[in-house]
Amino acid sequence: MSENDGARSMPNPFRPLIGFGTRAATATLKPIAGAVEAAAEAGLGLERRAVNRVLESEELERVVVVAINSVHIQAALKQALESDGAQQLVDTLFDSGLIDHVFERLLASESLWHMIDEIAASPAVTAAISQQGLGFADEVGDQVRSRSRKADDWMERTARRLIGRPPRVLPAEPDAST
Amino acid sequence: MGGVTAAGPGEAPVVAAPAQPTGYAGLATRVVSFTVDAAIITVVDVIIGVGAALILSLLHIPHDLRTILAVIGAVIYAIGSIAYFAIFWSTTGQTPGARLMQIQVLTADLGPVKPKRALVRCVGVILAALPLFIGFVPILYDSRRRGFQDQFAHTVVVEAPGPSIAEVSRAKKRAIYEASRRPVSERDALDG
Repeated sequence: MSENDGARSMPNPFRPLIGFGTRAATATLKPIAGAVEAAAEAGLGLERRAVNRVLESEELERVVVVAINSVHIQAALKQALESDGAQQLVDTLFDSGLIDHVFERLLASESLWHMIDEIAASPAVTAAISQQGLGFADEVGDQVRSRSRKADDWMERTARRLIGRPPRVLPAEPDAST
Repeated sequence: MGGVTAAGPGEAPVVAAPAQPTGYAGLATRVVSFTVDAAIITVVDVIIGVGAALILSLLHIPHDLRTILAVIGAVIYAIGSIAYFAIFWSTTGQTPGARLMQIQVLTADLGPVKPKRALVRCVGVILAALPLFIGFVPILYDSRRRGFQDQFAHTVVVEAPGPSIAEVSRAKKRAIYEASRRPVSERDALDG
């Protein structure tokens, strides 16, 4: 038997006192700990409500609009986009082959071709194409009409000059007041 | 000024006779208009002719009968061509070529052309073309730009500016779109 075992087995006259003190301290601090916990939770709830109110407020919208319209921010953005760093970033993105990979995957995708077929067959697109065709035909028609009218006048002037007739008198414009 | 005006959805464009012509169509404009019409007639006739020839090639037809069929085909071609012009002149006053060139055939007093007068004008066109197209020369110096066929049938060819085919198409589509956006109750009230 060692010396320590002898000391442990020896009765401690302060042990009841220590136990009593611990229980007293626990009982005393328990309400305080609860109050601290409740205060922390209340603080978190308050913070969430504050964030929600800020996000829902018109003031935030105004701040964002002002920030976007700000000359300084626009200048800073422009500077950032024109900087060498931005160009290097774009170069790196393309050099990485990520873009090629994305396009390869897109072109291999059945859904993409299905979507293109749907768009090509949509009434809006077919109407736009037919309108463009008609617009082109109109343009050609306008040109032909304009040139044929000039040719009419030229031929008439020449013919009348050859047979010694005066130029044709154009019909009078209708009077707007009558 | 008259011409073709956009009509409501599902309705045919309305052709109105001009109250006062802005001008008379000259020789070059009429030649272009006639060329377009001739191209249309030729394309249709070629399609019909090739179809008929293919069908007849399957049959064993004697030579004489073949000649008779060719004559019948030529007569049908001539009648079809005359009918083409006569029908367009007596309905809208504009053949497709005239529609493209925005010109219109009217009577000398600017009224619509009747079928009989349209047929007379067709005959006038043939008579004007027979002597090396001399009958069309008066268009160059006549005060109302009338050729032999116009003097023969008492007609004039006036300029009829109107909306283009694309504009009419756009107007129709817009009308259909606006009609589809109207409330159902309003549409019912308009329909009935």
